[in-house]
Amino acid sequence: MRTEVDATRRPFRGLAAFFWTEALVQLHEELAMATSMLVQGVLLVFVWVLNPRLIGVALVGAVIFSVFAMGQRVLNEAAYIRIDHKANDLYLAGPLSPEAYFVGMSAGILAVYVPPVFVVGALAAIVAHLALLPILLLVGLAAEVWVCSASIGYVFSTAFRDNRAIWAYSSLFFNIFGVLPPVFYPFGLFPAPLHPVVLLMPPSAAAALVQSVIGAAVLSSGERTLAVVGLAVETVALFAFAVYWARRTVRGR
Amino acid sequence: MSGVALRSENLRKTYFSKGTPPVEALAGVTMEVRRGERVALLGRNGAGKTTFLRIASTLLRPTSGSIEVFGFDADRTPDKVRPYIAVVPQEGKPFFHLTPREQVYTYLRARGLSRETAKARTEGALEQMGLGGFADRLAITLSGGQRQRTMVATVIATEAPLLFLDEPTIGMDPFARRDVWESLRGLTQRGSTILLTTHYLDEADALSHRLYIVERGRVIVTGTAEDLKRSVGGTLKVTIPAGRPEIERFRSFGSCVVDGEVLTVIVAPERLGELMDVAVRSGLSVTVGPVTLEEAFLRVVGRSINED
Repeated sequence: MRTEVDATRRPFRGLAAFFWTEALVQLHEELAMATSMLVQGVLLVFVWVLNPRLIGVALVGAVIFSVFAMGQRVLNEAAYIRIDHKANDLYLAGPLSPEAYFVGMSAGILAVYVPPVFVVGALAAIVAHLALLPILLLVGLAAEVWVCSASIGYVFSTAFRDNRAIWAYSSLFFNIFGVLPPVFYPFGLFPAPLHPVVLLMPPSAAAALVQSVIGAAVLSSGERTLAVVGLAVETVALFAFAVYWARRTVRGR
Repeated sequence: MSGVALRSENLRKTYFSKGTPPVEALAGVTMEVRRGERVALLGRNGAGKTTFLRIASTLLRPTSGSIEVFGFDADRTPDKVRPYIAVVPQEGKPFFHLTPREQVYTYLRARGLSRETAKARTEGALEQMGLGGFADRLAITLSGGQRQRTMVATVIATEAPLLFLDEPTIGMDPFARRDVWESLRGLTQRGSTILLTTHYLDEADALSHRLYIVERGRVIVTGTAEDLKRSVGGTLKVTIPAGRPEIERFRSFGSCVVDGEVLTVIVAPERLGELMDVAVRSGLSVTVGPVTLEEAFLRVVGRSINED
């Protein structure tokens, strides 16, 4: 037989190749790429019309919202591949590890959609006069938001049997996590009794922390701790659960 | 590696869902596929073929029973089985935003093949599947048959030790189907094993060393295509343009079916002359041809349904 079989089980086996596969798929979807910043752009215009002085905060929010949105693309993509194409069976009944499938898909989407975010990030740095430390903080927090969002997206993608049902939930996620809480506007404008709630949501927690560093929001030490610890714990826990879930859901029951 | 590629013992699968009665998809399937064999799994829609293939390919857990692939327990140690297998899923489609060349190549890379091997195998598989002229067009612009060819090319290029093909030629034209048959024959000659499902009985006849027929989750027949054809009482089919009134005259020669004004008799070759004498004496013309696997399948499965 010509094929040598490497039967060793390795976590994340095939990750780089599947990352490249997904990136290639996304690179062929020019329309999706061209419209990827549409919502953020519209929200920025809203903020600019309502209060031009908040545009710096809104640009920081746009960076965070954008990486959150990329994670949510994972929901649509994973469900589409599974429901419409059944290509997950092609890939998962083989040596590619389930965790590599999940992470490779997520990272492939990120790689293609991240360049415009750098442009928005550069604008945010200029307009909001971000120093090196806030920039590094923004990058780190955005990475955590992406991990949380991609993990949630992948796990939820396995729950659907019909793509049309996903559109509604996807829109719900966008609005509940990205538009409603103080991501594009200052944390202080949100009703104080609900601060703990929004500080437990990854995008608004990240936005509040960056806003506090650049002086656009005032967080109590308790709120700061809640945001930092909450986001870190959510990142680790959601990623670990998504990896576990990816392995568990390879097989139907 | 043992001489048996796949073995299942009393494999059962029952689907449970809230608000509906349980569905027993497999009711104790025992099966063995030897290395290098091409085995067809036949049955009506919903007979349990795809369920069996999904369990064997580690994508579904059985309710009870055992299943081994190259000696590894496919239920308890799926990670050990997966490197040995490749699957064409039923109704599977390639990524619409990849070209066939990209689809095959990236899939092979994801399975861990080196760049050089993946590239060579990709070109070979595209050529075998007649995709040369479409290899650099996005799959979204291809016809259904061309997409299906891309799926098959993706899987045959793996040259995996055990290939599961769930209706691999669905939607393909007769030329493309024959390209697939040729490729599959080549793969088994090089040591791969193939288990496929199909509703094209000519495909099963042309391709399989052995076949299993499943009905309502049970294996009702196993053997070669020739065995199955013989099991219906003869290997020749005699068609007589006469309706029901003539049936008594020919009943003793074999099983008779009347369809409108046409009487069909399945007869053993050694009794053909005698039957023709009777027909000529009665002033009836006859047409003789071989029993097809489809006719044998219809009779065997029909008999099983009637017995149930």
